[in-house]
Amino acid sequence: MKIKKYLSVIVPLFLFIALITGIVIYRSVSEQGQQIRYTATFLDVFDTRTEIVGFAKNKDEFAKKAQLIKDELIRYNQLYDIYNDYPGINNIKTINDNAGIKPVKVDPEIISLIEFSIDTYYETDGAVNIALGSVLSLWHKERMIGMDDPDRAKLPDYDELKKAACHTNINDIVIDKDNSTVYLSDPDMSLDVGSTGKGYAVQRVLEYAREKGLDNILLSLGGNISCIGTRIDGTCFRLGIQNPDMDSPEQYVEMVDINDGECVVSSGDYQRYYYVDGVRYCHIIDPETLYPADGFASVSIITDDSGLADSYSTALYTMTYEEGLEFVSKRDNVEAMWIMHDGTKKYSEGFIRKYVKK
Amino acid sequence: MKSKRIAFLGLFVALAFVLSYIEFMLPLNIGIPGAKIGIANLAVMVTLYTVGEKNAIALSIIRVVLVGLTFGNISMMMYSLAGAALSLFAMLLARRIGKFSMTGVSVLGGVFHNVGQIIVAMLVLETKSLFYYLPFLIIVGTITGVIIGIVSSLITTRVKKIMTF
Amino acid sequence: MKKNDIILIAVILVMAIAVLLGMRIWQKSSTDGDAVAVVTIDGNVYGQYPLSEDITEKIELPDGSYNILSISDSYASVIEASCPDQICVHHNHIKYQGETIVCLPNKLVVEIHGGEDNGIDGSTY
Repeated sequence: MKIKKYLSVIVPLFLFIALITGIVIYRSVSEQGQQIRYTATFLDVFDTRTEIVGFAKNKDEFAKKAQLIKDELIRYNQLYDIYNDYPGINNIKTINDNAGIKPVKVDPEIISLIEFSIDTYYETDGAVNIALGSVLSLWHKERMIGMDDPDRAKLPDYDELKKAACHTNINDIVIDKDNSTVYLSDPDMSLDVGSTGKGYAVQRVLEYAREKGLDNILLSLGGNISCIGTRIDGTCFRLGIQNPDMDSPEQYVEMVDINDGECVVSSGDYQRYYYVDGVRYCHIIDPETLYPADGFASVSIITDDSGLADSYSTALYTMTYEEGLEFVSKRDNVEAMWIMHDGTKKYSEGFIRKYVKK
Repeated sequence: MKSKRIAFLGLFVALAFVLSYIEFMLPLNIGIPGAKIGIANLAVMVTLYTVGEKNAIALSIIRVVLVGLTFGNISMMMYSLAGAALSLFAMLLARRIGKFSMTGVSVLGGVFHNVGQIIVAMLVLETKSLFYYLPFLIIVGTITGVIIGIVSSLITTRVKKIMTF
Repeated sequence: MKKNDIILIAVILVMAIAVLLGMRIWQKSSTDGDAVAVVTIDGNVYGQYPLSEDITEKIELPDGSYNILSISDSYASVIEASCPDQICVHHNHIKYQGETIVCLPNKLVVEIHGGEDNGIDGSTY
């Protein structure tokens, strides 16, 4: 009788408790599938910072995914290295060391990079030239000295640059696919894959990761950023475009959302540079003038191939805005943003419409 | 007398539904998600004090389900149901204790409605930060509870004059 | 309204305001203090510096090279470094969760843990 008397008071309470319990049970069951966002950063590949953003149930699972990507990056880093030797590996440096001496047997991945770079050379009218090593190394040497000790900073000797420029003919790269060898027929020539190697490696590594079933991955290799899929919640990965004005409190000039397989990369004069007599000289060399390009504070590219993104941004950096705009508008799925030295921003037609988020 | 009660209940379900719709159209725009005036509680209160507890429970649940199906979605319905259930429990208990007038009962109903909603939202969304809204929601619930309590006691007196159950 | 109702309303309001004030105080002392700049050298944690306290810290490496970390107004930045490229010094100051400043030559990373999130997954540079 007593219980019956209080029944109508207890019913709502019971209903509430039942609801809460139901939710808690549902939560704990579905929680097993809960994916957490992780980031891995390392500094030992391609002489730059690598960042991997991914989602996994726990740290170990993510570490496995990140390691899979890192191992591949290390492999490509060794193959595409122009400064270091690795035991048992013939890389780009080996090819350079044997210029004019003998063909070098190399991994097919090197041949496909060189072929890709040659295609890019023609596509960009020579603005991206991997045979420019002899010129680039003169600038590289002076930049290193100048950064280390500003008092000794000077420009490379122009006659030397001119002389080096005679040894940059892309046709002197002899590829023998049957024997998997590469030979530089000009002994004074050398390859520098700085403008294509990183981007191409990212593209290949992501293809590999896709084959291995990885999804929802963002890979940033020295600011060249590509993704597989979206964030785990289905929204696009959101990226900041670095403000070339490093003194500004605003770190990003624009935020962009990229879709599966798309890549963003910026080329600019704001990070790797040195001063000679108060003038800033950056690391992007215009093959025509043999001097650093200085048309823009930065150029950013969004396209669906990381290898192309890298070389397009380098190429556009050496072009005028009008040339660059025409270059971009002739191609599908390529959008660009230019930032002038005075901070003005210019965009290709689809850049804001397709990508920029406020 | 049974048919009279059923007719009354039907009338009040309709009333509660309309009040919920008005509330839906006029969300309390004070920057607190989930904050509601709770005017539908008017119908529940009057039912509770005229036809009794069981009918109030039935009315409350039917209202939540109807409104949820019409204007909301499943998760909204779950929040409301939790709010309504906890609120009912508080009101029924407070009424049984007999130390409070309709105003006090209505205040408790309003406060616990918000408390119940926040608890479920915190569990579903897994965000503890919703807890920050709780004090505001309690204050809002108290104020609207007082108003609704006064209004429903006025209505109850008049309903009791013209009808007996 | 009965006297009991008024007591009830007063008690509820007092309780709500007390919780509100308590949360305000607790919030003040915790959210600002949440964000920390974590300094790692070659992957090993060197130190953690809350963004709520202004400091200038010289981080010295065994080989004599160094970075000077500065925290002011809840922003972390590297204001001086021995490295040749000075990329870390040129870098904008950071404050949002996950943002980093990297000095490659010194293998030093300053990363913000906790605090506000700016909703960005990465950035070009």
